[in-house]
Amino acid sequence: MAWYVLRRVGQAAVVLWAAYTATFVILHVLPSDPVALQLAANNVEIDSLTPEQREVAEARLGLDRPVWQQYLGMLAGVLRGDFGTSYAKQVPVAQLLGERLPATATLSGVAVLIALVAGVGLALLAVRVPRGPLAALLRRLPAVGVSVPNFWIGLLLIQVFAFTLGWLPAMGSIGPQSYVLPAITMAVPTSAVLAQVLIRSLDDTLGEPYIATARAKGLSRGAVQLRHAFRNAALPTLTILGLLVGATVTGSIVVETVFSRQGLGRLAQESVLAQDVPVVQAIVVLAASAFVLVNLVVDLLYPLLDPRIARTPRVSRA
Amino acid sequence: MTTLHRRKPAIAIAGALALLALSGCAGTATGASPTGAAGDPVAGGELTVEFWPDNAAFACVDPFQTYWIESRQVIRNVADSLTDQDPETGEIVPWLATSWTVSDDQLTYTFELRDDVTFSDGTPLDAAAVVRTFDSAQETLAAVPGAYGGVYIAGLDTATALDEHTVQVQFATPNSAFLQGTSTTNLAILSPASYDATPADRCLGKFVGSGPFVLDDYTPGEGIDLSRRDGYDWASSLNAHEGEAYLDAVHINYVAEDSVRVGNLTSGASDVAWPRNPFTPEDQALLTSSGAQLHSRPLPGVSYSLFPNVADGKVLSDPLVRQALQKAIDRETYATTIYGDDYPVVAGAYDSTTPFFGAQDDALAYDPEGAAELLDEAGWTLADGATYRTKNGQQLTIVQPITAETPGDVLLQDQLKQVGIDFELKVYQASDRASIISGGDYDVLATYYTRADPSVLQWIIDDRYASSKAFAQNAADPETAAQIQSLFDAGITDIDQEARTDAYARLQALLVDDGVTFPVFERVQYAATAPSVQGFRFTSESFLSYYDIWKTEG
Repeated sequence: MAWYVLRRVGQAAVVLWAAYTATFVILHVLPSDPVALQLAANNVEIDSLTPEQREVAEARLGLDRPVWQQYLGMLAGVLRGDFGTSYAKQVPVAQLLGERLPATATLSGVAVLIALVAGVGLALLAVRVPRGPLAALLRRLPAVGVSVPNFWIGLLLIQVFAFTLGWLPAMGSIGPQSYVLPAITMAVPTSAVLAQVLIRSLDDTLGEPYIATARAKGLSRGAVQLRHAFRNAALPTLTILGLLVGATVTGSIVVETVFSRQGLGRLAQESVLAQDVPVVQAIVVLAASAFVLVNLVVDLLYPLLDPRIARTPRVSRA
Repeated sequence: MTTLHRRKPAIAIAGALALLALSGCAGTATGASPTGAAGDPVAGGELTVEFWPDNAAFACVDPFQTYWIESRQVIRNVADSLTDQDPETGEIVPWLATSWTVSDDQLTYTFELRDDVTFSDGTPLDAAAVVRTFDSAQETLAAVPGAYGGVYIAGLDTATALDEHTVQVQFATPNSAFLQGTSTTNLAILSPASYDATPADRCLGKFVGSGPFVLDDYTPGEGIDLSRRDGYDWASSLNAHEGEAYLDAVHINYVAEDSVRVGNLTSGASDVAWPRNPFTPEDQALLTSSGAQLHSRPLPGVSYSLFPNVADGKVLSDPLVRQALQKAIDRETYATTIYGDDYPVVAGAYDSTTPFFGAQDDALAYDPEGAAELLDEAGWTLADGATYRTKNGQQLTIVQPITAETPGDVLLQDQLKQVGIDFELKVYQASDRASIISGGDYDVLATYYTRADPSVLQWIIDDRYASSKAFAQNAADPETAAQIQSLFDAGITDIDQEARTDAYARLQALLVDDGVTFPVFERVQYAATAPSVQGFRFTSESFLSYYDIWKTEG
């Protein structure tokens, strides 16, 4: 077990390092210049600077050293927990992340919860309803949820619940009520994907012979669905959930812009546009860590759902 | 369970219907509610303002370092300047300085200061504080090369305190736009202690001014909180009242989504909606139907214009082609199609609120037949059945690099197609701009500039001052460039007001006739205020002054 955990942690470290390095390489291969971008944002072109002024400007951002030195310097900083200073916002990256992370983490958490409840609920319902127009509607609903753009859902919710009914705020990050509309917006596509996958695997499992056996033993329809079919169908859903947690981070870019929220998604988008290398690097590492962590949790949950997975290694070792 | 799931779409449909009903009302509304006697101003209340977001590439509210309009707006209310500028006449009037003199050689400016002004940290405003502001400006410029305020102090040598309330500013080279510069936020006077902070800290709001409001907090990307300055008693004469501001506090939120800004105002969640681009005709109707008041004023400075690349080998090096391009743009249709029926039509290189503005609307009239004749004369002919003109087998293509396609770009493309010009929109990354300019890899590039002084155009096309030498040198042939420079010099240095007006008039005619600028549209600043908001006022730079604003009950 110790060896298993150690190997997993080692893999995680390699993934994080690779993500960090890839981001660094991509940002430096792009034909861009953070100094020029900052100046252009102030309506000043880079060629108005003398070579000496340019050096000063680059030194301010730590861009005056050779690329490999910049890379090693930043990597060493990250290992010490120092992510450097944002070019655009002029504050330590760690402080920026500290301010923005909680809002996005909470929002994503709530969204995933809503998505789980709505997605699983919809799937169970869709499978339970006898064939007919209603079943067809329920089975098609996920497709609608996946294809409708996120920002449109957000704007519609704002129109109805903020502007017309006045129940919930249209923007901002203050108070629990400010989470409701953005979380629902983020949950719609996620729950739709979840429901799609779950409906498909429930259909598959419900056709298995052991279900017929269970039914023959006199178990009720609901009991069969929950105890037998759902447990087996949950595996692919769990796998996809790991991916969807990552997707909520992407979704947060749109949602945080529409709802004027300060979060990691907005920060990521702004920082990429501004070529704010230290911030982008830090967010990539953070997102990669979250991804690695979620997948680790999912991996550890597998044996609970399917004991065969846990047993397999023992058999092979014997 | 079943009914619950069915109700979801039902709510959405109800919402969509409500939306339709709303826009239906908006369509039948008949303009703004009458402004007028709202009673005497009352003190108190808080104002919620929703802006377009701050600068994502450079979060900064330091007066000297920032160009971003949304930041300068706020600064105008927390930091005062030596002078103020009349939005109507462009005249420079006293503010922190009671009077000033300019030497004949335009190199020495002497300001007499008020003796009753304090910064909000309690320090008195005196000559030493003003000197410190100018010294620090130069230090900031050295530490942060390209800091925007450098434009305003080009040629500055030294600032010295002649006595406790007299400051002399000495220039090495003439900079007559400096007097107007002293009225802007960028040369606002800050408390000496502000300059103990680093430029980066000042960007994040760690500075102290003498304005009617105090900057309490700036959170990049999120917003700004201001509160009233107690004991404020030195407003410029351009305001409607004296003494302290009426509002207790102002809360500024950055909202990226236009529809959210408009919706928050119409639903009563905010008091002022301040967009970057003009409200759409639909939003205007929605706003007025909700009782909101619409305000608009062109932003002074360079209009949204295309600037050519006339380097050898480029199609626009031919004056005939440039004249044809000038005639091929239908500016009236552009204004009404993109921005609505009552939107002003651009009439020159500058927006109409710029001092010394002279309309060139005749020279800018839409004349497709004239354009076609000029192109024929230049040898670009239209083969039978062809869409675009050719010359020696080459197609007449004008390349405009853009970062994102707008409806305006496409409209322009269609207008030029009518006369046989292939207007190619080449999408580029913002980070490529520098190399596109230095490589001359364009035929036209769009830009604009907000400053209430005609000299602002020098920052674009006069290579002695331009923010990009390459861009300026591409914009006109050497002979025209020399003419432009001498007209700028005359406009700036002539003491005689009539001679200045004449120089600027000739300059504006030359710019249009020779095709140095191709004005496309006038940049208009819109704002919408809730019915309870009174005393709205645009500054000379079309910014928002909170000082005179007060709120009625309800």
